[in-house]
Parts: sequence; structure tokens; C-alpha cells
Amino acid sequence: MEIIRVEDLSKKFILSSSPGTLKEWLISRGKGSANKEFWALKNINLSINKGQSLGLIGRNGSGKSTLLKIICKILYPTTGSVQVNGKVSSLLELGAGFIPDYTGRDNVYLNGSILGLSREEIDKRFDSIVEFSEIGEFIDQPVRNYSSGMYMRLAYSVAVSSNPEVLLIDEILAVGDSKFKEKGLNRILELKEKGTTIVFVSHSDAMIKKVCDRVVWLDKGLIVGEGTPNDVLPQYAQ
Amino acid sequence: MFETIKELMLYKNLIISLTQSQVRKRYKGSVLGVLWSLINPLFLLVVYGFVFSFLMRGRIENYFLFLFNGLLPWIFFKTSVVMSSNSIVGNAGLIKKTYFPREILPIATVFENLVNFFMGLLILIPALLIFGDGINLMIFWLPVVILVQVVLNLGLALFFSAVTVYLRDMRHILEVLTMAMFYYTPILYTMDMIPERYQPFFKLNPMAPLIDAYRQVLFKKDIPDLGSLLWTFIFSLLILVSGMKVFKHLNRGFAEKV
Repeated sequence: MEIIRVEDLSKKFILSSSPGTLKEWLISRGKGSANKEFWALKNINLSINKGQSLGLIGRNGSGKSTLLKIICKILYPTTGSVQVNGKVSSLLELGAGFIPDYTGRDNVYLNGSILGLSREEIDKRFDSIVEFSEIGEFIDQPVRNYSSGMYMRLAYSVAVSSNPEVLLIDEILAVGDSKFKEKGLNRILELKEKGTTIVFVSHSDAMIKKVCDRVVWLDKGLIVGEGTPNDVLPQYAQ
Repeated sequence: MFETIKELMLYKNLIISLTQSQVRKRYKGSVLGVLWSLINPLFLLVVYGFVFSFLMRGRIENYFLFLFNGLLPWIFFKTSVVMSSNSIVGNAGLIKKTYFPREILPIATVFENLVNFFMGLLILIPALLIFGDGINLMIFWLPVVILVQVVLNLGLALFFSAVTVYLRDMRHILEVLTMAMFYYTPILYTMDMIPERYQPFFKLNPMAPLIDAYRQVLFKKDIPDLGSLLWTFIFSLLILVSGMKVFKHLNRGFAEKV
């Protein structure tokens, strides 16, 4: 069953130097704008079936993150379309929804609701989230007092606890100590076992091989290679 | 549009959490925090009250209560609109890194100010009991009036929060516009003090019938003008629907523009 369908997707960014104001708009009316255009993605077609894990590889600036952001509706396509049939949870940046002044507990609830969980659902998961994060008694401290590792662990624990149908992950397993990294990876593999569809951006070949059954290689906004990790990764390495 | 409403219902927990955390942020430090957020309306009340109670001498009885009754809903209106205009731009981190229906940000700001408005009512109502003529059953109209105002505030909040992303100086423009609107709205005075021939112009203001309705049900303990309240409700709904449409349209560029 198809769960994500990307059709003829292109994304253009307009690189303007400053955010617009009414004043500027009044002054520059009639004159052509001198803003530069940049195509981050060009004619992308993708189809991902339920339960599949897709890895996105490519150099910096090849459009991987842009593609993820379009799939989770943070960005909108310039042309083409994206259809997702299921609940999406995205891990683009750990702790993106955290407010430093709030305690770990409050942030778990806030971030859980950003992921679309109800209060009862968070209540039910709260203990296992805290346990997984290994935060312990610090859960009632404001997160601004956390070390970056603690911050990351808590954010990660909330994000993987939401049992999404589609999980989008952008390069976030690169942080944390090796023990937690392994635990984090195992959690992702567990979700995969349960049938979660995963789209995974990583620069780590080992990670891609462990998680993904299919790899798409992006270069300058175009798909230049597609296949199993064992087929595509050696080509990409060259 | 119904899809948006359906999605917002799914995310109602986020609306509640965000409102709660914003309210808590405002009232941080418990008692003193609540005090601070009430100092602004009370200060305005004292300043305007002293100046205008001389000017209005004999024309309006119990001027301080009359003024406070109008000032509270006005502050609810003004802060909702002005603060919301910053709600998308001020949460760039969330917008760029996470997905949720963006409408939630201005909505939570309006709700935060609604809570603040309730705090004000907790002072106004005892004040009416102690210094004024008390209250009567007409207070049961109050939720209806509040509902109409919430619809109006939400519509404008959605509109301006989205527009501010593209026109960053909107906030300054709003500060000036709301200052002018303060004098255009019958807060310091009553509508019948306006010369007959200017009245049609003053009646274009959707806040005028609202302030009047608040005063009817609290200060005057009387039934509100239901005809004009109904019209204001219909007008506010139109504002809300157009606000949502504009928001939905502009929403596509938020993550790139903030």
C-alpha cells in the first residue's frame, strides 16, 4: 500500500536579503525585483509503500532536508504535489519545540501535543518517556539547566514515543553518547518492525544500511540514483 | 476551511498546552505576576479616570466603573490583535522545524488574552458590587457578548499574524492604528455624545456595539441591544472566515519567510 506519493515535485526558493516591509513595498513598486531564485528540488517523483524505510543520501545542499520538510508540510511545493496518507511525526531538529524556561515535564507535554498526541496519550507514555531519556529527577528542572546531551535525549524520547505511521528523521542520531545512540537506533528499528514507514536522512553509511531497505540519492535537487543500499552506496562513495 | 477546523480539533490539546504555557509565562512568579498583568489596565484606568472624570463631570455617573467596564474589553481586543501579529514571526523556530496547524499560534494568543480578560473581570465584578449598583441576572448575557468578541478577535488575529510575516512593519502600523481606534471607540465616552451627523461613521466600528453590550449587561444591568449584537456577530464571522482564508493562502510561505 502506498503511503507517500511525490509527483513532479519542484521547489524554488527566492533568496531575498531582508524580510519585506510595507515601506519597501511602497518604494519598490513598479520596479522589478532583483531577488535571486534557487531551485532546491527539480521534478522529484517518489512512491513509498507502507512499512518501507527509505534513506535519502546526497551531499550538503542536495535537497534532502527540503524534501523532508515538504513531506511533513513545513514547506510547500512550488509545483507538483505530495500526498501522505497517515500520521506523520518528524525529527528534523531535536528539541525544536522546547521552551528553555519550562521544566522537562512541561516540555514533554508541549512537544507531545505538537506531535499530535492527546493529553491522555502523553499521560500514558510519560513514565516510559522519562525512563527512556534517562533524565531521572531532572525532569522537574527547567530544560535550560540541562546539558546538551540531556536535552537531546529528552527530545528524542518524546519524538519516538508518538507511534507515528510515518517517521521522518533528519540526521539526528549523530548526537549523544554511543550507548544512547545505540538505544536510539534500536528504538527506530523497533518502530520499523511495527510497520512504521521511515524516511531517513543520514550521512552515515552504516546507519543507512541498518535502517533502510531502499536508498534515493539526490544531487543538486535531482534524483541521480535509486535502489538497495548495497547498490547505491558504493556508487555514491565514488 | 472545514478541513482546517477538523484538523484544529485534532490538535486541540496543543491549543490548550500553548495557551497554558503562555499564561503561565505571563503570570510567572504567581501573585506578583498576576498583579503585573493587571497593572497596565489599572494604570490606564487611573490616568484616564482622573483626567476624564473632570471633563465628563455630571455627564456620566460613576465614571471610573463606566470606564473600567469599557477599558477591559478594549484591552482584550487590542492586545489580541497586536500580540498575535507577532505570533508567527516570533515563533520562527517552531515554524521552521515542526509541523502543526499554524493557525494555533494566533489562536493561542487570543485565548491567552481571554484568560487575562477574565482576570480583569474578577476585579471589575467585585468593584461593581462594592462601588456600583451591583449586578443582576443580565450578567448571563456576558458569555454571549464575550463569544462575539472572541470571534472578531480571532478573525483579525489570524489575518494580521499572517500578513506580518510578509510585511514586518505591520506591528508598528497596528500600534498606531489601535491607538487611533481607542479614541474612535466609545470607551471614554458614550455613543450619544457624538454629534448626530457623525454617528454613522462611528457606527462602522465593530468594537462600538461590543463595548456598548458589555456596559449594558454589567454597568447598566440591562439587556444588550440584540439587533446590533447579532449584526456584529455576523460581521465578526465574516472577518473570521476571511481571516482564515487569507491565513491559509499566506501559510504556504511561512517557513521560508520567518
